[in-house]
Amino acid sequence: MDNVKIEARSLCAGYTSDILTDVSFSVRGGEIMTVIGPNGSGKSTLLKTLAMQLPRRGGHVYISGTDADKLQPRERAKKISVLLTERVNASLMTCREVVEAGRYPYTGFFGALTDNDREAASEAIRLTASEEFAERDFNAVSDGQRQRILLARAICQQPEVLILDEPSSYLDLRHKIAFMETVRRLAAEKNTAVIMSMHELDMAREISDSALCLKDGRVFCMGGADGVFTAANMTKLFDVSEEMFERYINTYNKERM
Amino acid sequence: MKRGHVFAFIALAVLTVLALCLNLGFGSADISVSETVGILLRGGSGTAYDIITKIRVPRALSALILGGALALAGYLLQMFFRNPIAGPFVLGVSSGAKLTAALVMIGAAASRVPLSSAAMVGAAFIGSMASLAFVLLISRRVRGMSMLVVCGVMIGYICTAVTDFVITFAQDSDIANLHSWSVGSFSGMTTENVIVILAVTVPALVGSFLLSKPLGAYGLGEEYAVSMGVNVRLLRTALIFLSGLLAACVTAFAGPVSFVGIAVPHIIRRVFRTSKPIILIPACFLGGGIFCMLCDMLARTVFAPTELGISTVTAIFGAPVVILMMIRGKRGGMNG
Repeated sequence: MDNVKIEARSLCAGYTSDILTDVSFSVRGGEIMTVIGPNGSGKSTLLKTLAMQLPRRGGHVYISGTDADKLQPRERAKKISVLLTERVNASLMTCREVVEAGRYPYTGFFGALTDNDREAASEAIRLTASEEFAERDFNAVSDGQRQRILLARAICQQPEVLILDEPSSYLDLRHKIAFMETVRRLAAEKNTAVIMSMHELDMAREISDSALCLKDGRVFCMGGADGVFTAANMTKLFDVSEEMFERYINTYNKERM
Repeated sequence: MKRGHVFAFIALAVLTVLALCLNLGFGSADISVSETVGILLRGGSGTAYDIITKIRVPRALSALILGGALALAGYLLQMFFRNPIAGPFVLGVSSGAKLTAALVMIGAAASRVPLSSAAMVGAAFIGSMASLAFVLLISRRVRGMSMLVVCGVMIGYICTAVTDFVITFAQDSDIANLHSWSVGSFSGMTTENVIVILAVTVPALVGSFLLSKPLGAYGLGEEYAVSMGVNVRLLRTALIFLSGLLAACVTAFAGPVSFVGIAVPHIIRRVFRTSKPIILIPACFLGGGIFCMLCDMLARTVFAPTELGISTVTAIFGAPVVILMMIRGKRGGMNG
């Protein structure tokens, strides 16, 4: 029962003033929680705060029951890894080297890799089905491949919590699906808690176990995916009319029925 | 370490020894190779002995170490600004160091206070840090790397103009060396200078090398570095401190030396085809040493007995590399 990997209690976050207020949730191992909401609703701020890129302005975050403030940066890095929207600067690095960079918190003073580290990198590459281009230059592969490599890097860090900020934005449909399948497999196999922001509602509903909807910096609604992803919730969350929502979002589902 | 890297390091070591030999063997005084070898191995006395031990050895060694220091300073600044054309010269760091060093030199000459090498390094360090502070302020306001470089060049021009102004009105027999120093030169190095240079550069080199691991993570991107547990603020401070110190040391002794800081790290990255700091830091240092020793030899010998400024030679070989880099630009460069 108590498999909670990350828990936030009355979290407040922002840069100079609160962008997010009073956000509380918990995610278990193997669970995928998506964070959805309109642009500017605070999704990125939430993920950045959870990833400790932004100092919290209030509330608490617990990682596997430990207060995140009490964790040393290196210990924290073994528990949380991220895939961010920041551009990765990896000239003259092969994809494998980018993945291996994820071993940072585990390696010694000079960062020399052990066989164990190499094995973890290979496994992450296998898990993301990236063997084919693993030895190529990171800058020479496609966007979809690059995203898989960055996911592999995050996996290679062997985290308990994986934070993905809009990981599917630049991918085409096939790669989106492949990416989501990998995330699902990872969550199940490694008992990892996944928190992921995304814009694609159809896909979010498919992949999520639970969802957190943000609007204007507050929790609009949250809970199991089935309860959250309803037409009523989504139209209110995004301020669109039901007619438009039906026309643009639910089309495929209706044809199927 | 990969086999290719081992070979490349061996090649660098061989080139270092070769360049050192060339620098010791050639000069305006005609000393035969066998005589040079004899002096180095067995000692001796007389004019030839003095020329070798008091002029050529300190000069060759300072070119080696200061060249390495420059290349390393360039590499560190490139990592800091994530910009392959950052370097102590283009960012105005060398010129800032030159300004404060010149002021202290002239002040000391005017008040007849003897000036130690360490004090010169200290003065230059203040100037290099002041220039870096300006560049950092500007870098917060401007987006885009080319703007940063343009601002650095402008800071460089301002400092150089003030330095020239001061030097022009401080014509004094005591500062006869000031002119050759202010255009950059390895001439007139003493053994005492070399000791101070070593005392500053070696700790900075070791310090940079110890930063290899966090530096590698920082190279991937700041947010990723934070997520992997790197203390980014501390790392950035260390980068600025180390590169400022290295550039200051070079400027205090040899004046401003252009393009080594950009051209050498670029060539080294191409040769080693890696971005790993643990390999690039020592490789850049050796590469910078070789580059400066060869350039200094040309500066001394091509129009002997007239000496060229070291920057004249480094610019001839270094600037085309930078231009090529900018043309080939985005594809293979650090901005990917």
